[in-house]
Amino acid sequence: MQTVIDAHNISKVYNPDTIPVHAVNNVHLHLNRGEFTALVGPSGSGKTTLLNIIGGLDAPSEGQVVINGVDISNLKPNQLIDFRLHNIGFVFQAFNLIPVLTASENVEFIMLLQKKPKAERNKRVQELLASVGLSDKLDARPNQLSGGQQQRVAVARALASRPQFILADEPTANLDSHSAATLLDIMEKMNREEDVTFLFSTHDQRVIDRARRVITLVDGRIESDSAETQIKH
Amino acid sequence: MLTIIAWRNLWRNRTRSLIITTSVALGMWAGTFIMAIYFGMGEARLRIAIDNEVSHIQVHHPGFADDKEAKYNMPMDSLDQVFQQIPAIKAYSLRSVTTGMLATTSGSQGIQVNGVDPAAEQATRGMKDFVQEGDYLDPEKRNRVLVSTKLAQKLKLDIGNKIVLTLLDTANNITAGAFRICGLYHTNNAPLDELNVFVRKSDLDHLIGTAGRAHEAAILLHRDDDLDSVFQKLKQALPQYRIERWQEISPETALVLSSLDTYSLVFIFIILLALSFGIINTMLMAVLERTREIGMLMAVGMNKLKVFGMVVWETIMLAVVGAPVGLLAAWLTTLWLGHTGINLGPVMGESLRDFGYAPVIYPILPWHNVLQTMQLVLITAVVAAIFPALKALRLKPVEAIRT
Repeated sequence: MQTVIDAHNISKVYNPDTIPVHAVNNVHLHLNRGEFTALVGPSGSGKTTLLNIIGGLDAPSEGQVVINGVDISNLKPNQLIDFRLHNIGFVFQAFNLIPVLTASENVEFIMLLQKKPKAERNKRVQELLASVGLSDKLDARPNQLSGGQQQRVAVARALASRPQFILADEPTANLDSHSAATLLDIMEKMNREEDVTFLFSTHDQRVIDRARRVITLVDGRIESDSAETQIKH
Repeated sequence: MLTIIAWRNLWRNRTRSLIITTSVALGMWAGTFIMAIYFGMGEARLRIAIDNEVSHIQVHHPGFADDKEAKYNMPMDSLDQVFQQIPAIKAYSLRSVTTGMLATTSGSQGIQVNGVDPAAEQATRGMKDFVQEGDYLDPEKRNRVLVSTKLAQKLKLDIGNKIVLTLLDTANNITAGAFRICGLYHTNNAPLDELNVFVRKSDLDHLIGTAGRAHEAAILLHRDDDLDSVFQKLKQALPQYRIERWQEISPETALVLSSLDTYSLVFIFIILLALSFGIINTMLMAVLERTREIGMLMAVGMNKLKVFGMVVWETIMLAVVGAPVGLLAAWLTTLWLGHTGINLGPVMGESLRDFGYAPVIYPILPWHNVLQTMQLVLITAVVAAIFPALKALRLKPVEAIRT
């Protein structure tokens, strides 16, 4: 199996000089291509912090994150931005679409940053929005879409750059049951059919139930990892 | 896509954007229109200086410029011969000019007496058009004098009154002649009016002994552009005389014109400075309101240069939407008032005349100044964008997304 994420000895300490808060404490995480993994745990357990560190949005106080063989802690800020653009897809809890762009423009935008040719962009936009069931909403602005539809556009956007993996921070937190189920169906389908690796942080039992691997964080440490449990059994 | 985002972002808060673009438009209109008034005044001053006062070029005996004595004169026939061979010359007036004393029963005053050929003087500086009361100099009537309304008022003179002009002749002997006032004139240059009277050249020549000679040749050209070439020709043809262009004869006019560009630039700069603070404020609010969005853009792979470009582009659009509207309004206003004129006569006509300006101002808006203003607007927008753009760049995606 191809290793996509290899995080060694990750720690993150906030306020190290005053009142240190250990958000993540000596975490080792290894994800292979095609995994569909949920990072679970109570609020304040360090899920989002760990996700941000893996995504290169935040730097660890200690440790090393290697993505597809590249140690991202050695990259300069602009290199890191470029690395994220080509390797990582993000889905945020609050959707975070660009409000002045239509659904298709939001998806196309990432490929524009990648300088993909127009014909390729148009084709991919059509494909992605069709795959998330929004072929009829190409020209809709985010404020004309429901929460579930916006999150589906966000997933399409995350996939647009053909990333190595997608990091999703509480993707269903703001969605009703039906929208959450639809979104999970889509992500599962992408995972299964296109071999896209997903790593979620979530409290949502519906997501946890669908995940093939569940990692539980408590107080910044990995308390359990279903992959290891399965190996042990 | 950055252009689309910038343009649509501009209209996310319509009221705010409309207020700032309206401010830009009004500022541009006011600044450009006032600039047009300045240029109109400058152009009017230039035309008055050339067409009614000093003409394009003047020729004098070198001694006359330093010491206005009657003996420093030039033979008219040689001047006629040279001037008639230059087709760019529209008209010229050969004058006898001397200083003396004007005496009346109610007082006296030092004066410059201009002996002119009435027809040539009319052709060169339209003297007849300035006669307010009475008649212009009649070539057939002896010893008539034209005095200004201002001098007449001061010395309590009226048409038909007699005055005595006491002068020095070419041998520096005192000579005097009695003249009857035939008309009162009123030009756009009050200080000059008060000091000048006009008589027939033959009458003055008879008194001071300068028949067939002239102290001053004033030359009017068909086109302003011919000034330098005619100047060079005259210098070659008349090397013994002092040849001066209007800039040397009336340096104050040249100074006013040369400082117009500077004045207008300073004016526009002040307006743009004020506008730039409005733009900075608007863009700063726009950036701070979109902290999470900008953080997300950086998170998904938009590099700092593009974020910077997006904010700068948006700011340029904010300024550039308003500026052409303001400039167009200024152009239309100038077009209209440039045709009808702005009559400041009732309010400050006399003050303007005291400085040699016509009371009716016709605004002018040169295209190069409009383009220059547009360039300055763009530069202002880019400069005003720097602070908000830097603010956007300082955002850390991980913190911005959390907001």
